[in-house]
Amino acid sequence: MSETIAAKTETFFTIEMPYRERMETRRAVFTGGDGPRVAVVGGIHGDELEGLYVCHLLAAWLEKLFLTSPGSLLGTVELYPAVNTLGLDTLTRGLPVFDTDLNRAFPGSASGPLPDRLAAALMTALSGAALVVDIHASNIYLREIPQVRINQEFDDLLVPIARRMNLDLIWLHSAATVLETTVAHSLNSCGTPCLVAEMGVGMRITPEYCEQLMAGILAVWQDMGVLAPDVTIPKTSHTAMIADDSNVHYLNAQTSGMFIPAASHWTDVRRGELLGTIVSPFRGETLSEVRSPVDGVLFTLREYPLVYEGSLMARVMARKGGRS
Amino acid sequence: MIRDLLCMTAPVREGFDIPCHEIGPKSSQPAVALVAGLHGDEINGIFILSRLADFLNSVEAGKYPDLRLVKRVLIIPAVNVLGVNLRTRTWPFDKSDINRMFPGSTTGETTQRIAYAVLEATKRAKYRIDIHTASADFEEIPQVRLYGPTEAERETARQLGLQAIMERSLSPVFTTTMMYSWKVWPGQSFVLRVGQAGTVQLDHCQRVFRAMVSFMGRIGVLEGVQLAVEDEEPCCFDKESAFRVFAEKAGTFVSDSKVGRWVRAGQELGYIYDSFGGTVIEKVVAPVAGLLTGIRRHPLLFEGDLILRVNRKG
Repeated sequence: MSETIAAKTETFFTIEMPYRERMETRRAVFTGGDGPRVAVVGGIHGDELEGLYVCHLLAAWLEKLFLTSPGSLLGTVELYPAVNTLGLDTLTRGLPVFDTDLNRAFPGSASGPLPDRLAAALMTALSGAALVVDIHASNIYLREIPQVRINQEFDDLLVPIARRMNLDLIWLHSAATVLETTVAHSLNSCGTPCLVAEMGVGMRITPEYCEQLMAGILAVWQDMGVLAPDVTIPKTSHTAMIADDSNVHYLNAQTSGMFIPAASHWTDVRRGELLGTIVSPFRGETLSEVRSPVDGVLFTLREYPLVYEGSLMARVMARKGGRS
Repeated sequence: MIRDLLCMTAPVREGFDIPCHEIGPKSSQPAVALVAGLHGDEINGIFILSRLADFLNSVEAGKYPDLRLVKRVLIIPAVNVLGVNLRTRTWPFDKSDINRMFPGSTTGETTQRIAYAVLEATKRAKYRIDIHTASADFEEIPQVRLYGPTEAERETARQLGLQAIMERSLSPVFTTTMMYSWKVWPGQSFVLRVGQAGTVQLDHCQRVFRAMVSFMGRIGVLEGVQLAVEDEEPCCFDKESAFRVFAEKAGTFVSDSKVGRWVRAGQELGYIYDSFGGTVIEKVVAPVAGLLTGIRRHPLLFEGDLILRVNRKG
């Protein structure tokens, strides 16, 4: 490796496994000046890969920056692309063996079993950062447009940052529906701002979404003084719409079968427009039609075709007040 | 009588239902609602409740002339029916935990619809009991779990006749569990934790079965039960009484200790072996004198895994 690569890869968490091996979880640290320290987290769920690619894009951009303009990193950047190492290595969403969703284990504890310890180690590593971006990629069932999800408890602080992130949607969640055991809630509760980005679909990479988010993260970092003001960063062109409990409509399957979409993800749809059908592999007839309840944007669309009665197939957001 | 709480379609197989037993005199609401198998791999509870249903049906059929069921009992041996058949804790299709889907909804996700149906059937019962186990890796003493209980629940818990009563605060982590939803309603709610997942532990099951029968005798649901004097008063443990031992080292844990035994401080309860080299790398001892209320059963240990819990008598 060339010496000009300024990233240092280091292990921030390690634990002994039953038979000889150790599990190690690593981060890449780009150290610049005394400016703010920022972090990007990905792969808390082992089936979500979009964050890993965003980290790669950021690493590539920063490595190039060190070659062309070494003094332009005014702060410190930490990338945690693969927090659930074992899950990512084994195509498992949760933590293998422990059958636990890591993002329900925060803030964790330094002395308990692996999920608690890993959560606590990540909290320790991230606490005090000027900004953390935790990147999620939906799951294997649903495709999402690039968005930020914010608990209304923290919206004063986070919405202005989210608006600069070059994403297409800011979804505000009421405090009652927010899970308190996530890394984002735990960090925000102890004064470290954390934004949750959600985009794409599980087990896949959507390169254009990743490039879009990378540009947004760089823009925010430049605003914060992590990057020098005169550094050229990729252009940002996306403006976020605002969603909350009042304008998001959920479409759950009326019956079980195969969902065949009729509309494309991330398009404007009209009230009553056919979004898809549910069919049976045994018979030719259509079991159920799925129609939009409102005029709006089809921002969530089912990717995995089989549905049970009740499975979410789509979410449509009614526009309120036009583009914000 | 067997009733379906909920009938639903499935993508390519026949539809499925969640059946329950309704036993005893007709009434708009059951006096007692007993639920197990919210997690499909917690077989102890499923076995206990199916056996209890058989027993109460036999009482109804007159096979026990001294006994009379005078109030209605609702029994759901397993909520996660597909999970039982496929041996998974969670709902097999989307891996969601049904006990994190309460209070549920009639229009939401499949598991929310299941949760809603179970809550509707049980929430108005005077006594509600949800039976669980620990994971497949850990064995718990059969115990009553109280979460932020009322005085009346504390009192009733003693009548449930199990060796240990564990009290915990009602943390926000539990907001989406059935027990949390139950507590909104008048009546009393209890969680039992019995043994470990993935197996039937006959001693534990028989103990809990007998406890359920004598409990129904004490609360006047089942008349004619000969109430035995308990050999042992139940021990009430708060969180502070629990002393846990976590694995300092990874390896293979072996122990023949049994839950429900009183142990001395320093008593050897198991050994951790080097999984490759075979040497003993740690002796695991009781941290205090008390009741061994839980112990690791899966031999392979990660560093930090919970090995055992001893509760000191207050």
